[in-house]
Amino acid sequence: MKKSISLLLIVLLLTSVMLVGCGTDEGNGEGGEAKKAVLLVSGTLGDKSFFDSANEGMKVIKEELGWETHIIEMGTDPSKWEPTLTDVSAEDYDLIICGTFQMQEKIEEVAPKFPDKRYVVFDVSVDYDKADYSNVYSILYKQNEGSYLAGVLAAMVTTSDMPKANEEKIIGFLGGMNIPVINDFLVGYVEGAKSIEPDIKVAVSYVEDFANPAKAKEMCLAQYDMGADIGFNVAGGSGLGQLDAAKEKDCYAIGVDSDQAMLFKDTDPEKAELILTSMLKRIDNSLVRAVKLFEEDKLPFGTVEVLGLAEEAVGLAKNEFYERNVPQEIKDKIEEIEEQVKNGDITVSSAFDMSDDEMQDLLESVRP
Amino acid sequence: MQALLRAILSPSFAASILRVTTPILFAALGAVVADLSGVVNIALEGTMLFSAFTGVAVSAFTQSAWLGLLAAVGVGALVGLTLAYSHLKLGTDAVLAGIALNLLAAEGTVFLLYVVAGDKGVSSSLPSKVLPDWHIPVIKEIPVLGAILGKQNALTYMSLIAVVLVYLFLFKTSFGLRLRAVGENPDAADSVGISVHRVQFVALAISGALAGMGGAHLSMGYVSWFSRNMTSGRGFIALAAETLGYRHPVGVFLASLLFGFADALSNYMQSLRVPGEFVQMIPYLLTLVALTIYSGRQRKGRRSSK
Repeated sequence: MKKSISLLLIVLLLTSVMLVGCGTDEGNGEGGEAKKAVLLVSGTLGDKSFFDSANEGMKVIKEELGWETHIIEMGTDPSKWEPTLTDVSAEDYDLIICGTFQMQEKIEEVAPKFPDKRYVVFDVSVDYDKADYSNVYSILYKQNEGSYLAGVLAAMVTTSDMPKANEEKIIGFLGGMNIPVINDFLVGYVEGAKSIEPDIKVAVSYVEDFANPAKAKEMCLAQYDMGADIGFNVAGGSGLGQLDAAKEKDCYAIGVDSDQAMLFKDTDPEKAELILTSMLKRIDNSLVRAVKLFEEDKLPFGTVEVLGLAEEAVGLAKNEFYERNVPQEIKDKIEEIEEQVKNGDITVSSAFDMSDDEMQDLLESVRP
Repeated sequence: MQALLRAILSPSFAASILRVTTPILFAALGAVVADLSGVVNIALEGTMLFSAFTGVAVSAFTQSAWLGLLAAVGVGALVGLTLAYSHLKLGTDAVLAGIALNLLAAEGTVFLLYVVAGDKGVSSSLPSKVLPDWHIPVIKEIPVLGAILGKQNALTYMSLIAVVLVYLFLFKTSFGLRLRAVGENPDAADSVGISVHRVQFVALAISGALAGMGGAHLSMGYVSWFSRNMTSGRGFIALAAETLGYRHPVGVFLASLLFGFADALSNYMQSLRVPGEFVQMIPYLLTLVALTIYSGRQRKGRRSSK
């Protein structure tokens, strides 16, 4: 008796699964030949940084380019990422998109097993010398170019007579970890600042944790105490601690990745006023660009592209706070330098091309 | 080097130590109360997370920081009671139940955050409140001390008061005596008519409430929002401080201060370009040194008493 009931249940379950399956198939058919893309988030959305920006890009791809898009949040357990990537690769997506350095090895492992699938990875490049990755397109960002502008802004602010600027020529930098991609921001920031004020001093701290805002705040309070009047945070979730420190000390801050002033615009306008701008990493723009190129069959798979100011993949957020609080002469200077970087008159060094010694020398030259 | 010395000798550095110490101290006091009653409370980390979230959520909806704190403490006590229930009534291992609660808190708070704020990273879209800084009139006038103790977050003062209160509770009240008796020898306590479970239930609730205040300090004092996993291991550091402080409120206070000092020192040294790797090591190095000195002295003490 029990056996027959369980058998019946299994049959019921199977038919319902098949019916559901048929249902979605038909749904797809109606939508015509829409291409399908999936974004794999190695973590969760809501980081106010890469993934949220990538998510914005997926929305544009869906609404403006008419693709069918899916977003899979793989969670914070890295052991689940590779199996998910493998599962997704076995499905019928035209493009599989994922990013951050944490996914590099996983893509390198999985992509060669599915040679007819196409992968786009952002903010990291697979090692093309290692194996045949002719189905992988990598996007890197010239965060050094955007940070150069942030450095220019910071140096001009600290030497200006803006209300919260002090006498000392010290600016702050808060890094999430001492890793090449963060240092790429730092190198651009330092070079930009030095181009304005050769005697500038930069107080640099690393939280060594992307989710410890309290520690970050403490570090930035120390920087502001030391005489910094503006700081640049490149530390993911920890970086928000810098914004709190800025409010407490009534100093300026520069946000990163997403427009951080907008985060606090409604709930804490006082803090938002202090965030002069944010150095944006436009993952969304770069993904939309990649998908457009893919549609034209021009996306260079098997290579890595490094996108910067010229491709609008990085840049400063010119929001209402920037317009309102930054003096006109600084804004003009930034426009001017932005053009020079775009057309190649200024080349910004990159931490990826620097030896440890060169890096140390550069930082030593601005030590407070 | 000179800049470093100047920074360390400044009152703002001492004030920074107190700020860094506050959440650790609360949790470490919670650890003491639980441990003395005979149950190790591994769930401090998760308790702090739950409370940090609750404080933000409740203060955002009631527009009162104090109600937020009250709710945070209440939730902390509730987590403590959950641990007590599963350990004492259902017979789970206290360490396993504690780990389970920590994992639940790590992901559960993100889920709740999404439900309440529609965001999985940070609660900045909620208009939550911050507990005020208190200005202590008389102390504020004293030159150096005033800069250190004159103006701190309300919870920082409360943590210092909590050291005294926990001490009085454990060593000067009859319930504290019973609590310690239960932890020392539950059978003996039972034989004189003390309800062991009841005492441990209360101890874990107090332990959770204390950790809850630490959590509230993080999200409503230190910074002004909740972000995922913002405790960053402070609950575990508190357990270390508890051991280092020899399970005594005053010892734990000193041990927490040591951790706070090391952490604050690393924060200051970084910006002066002392190599980051070295700086990151300081808190752990200091712990090791302190533990070595401590165990050395203990052995000496034991030898001389023989």
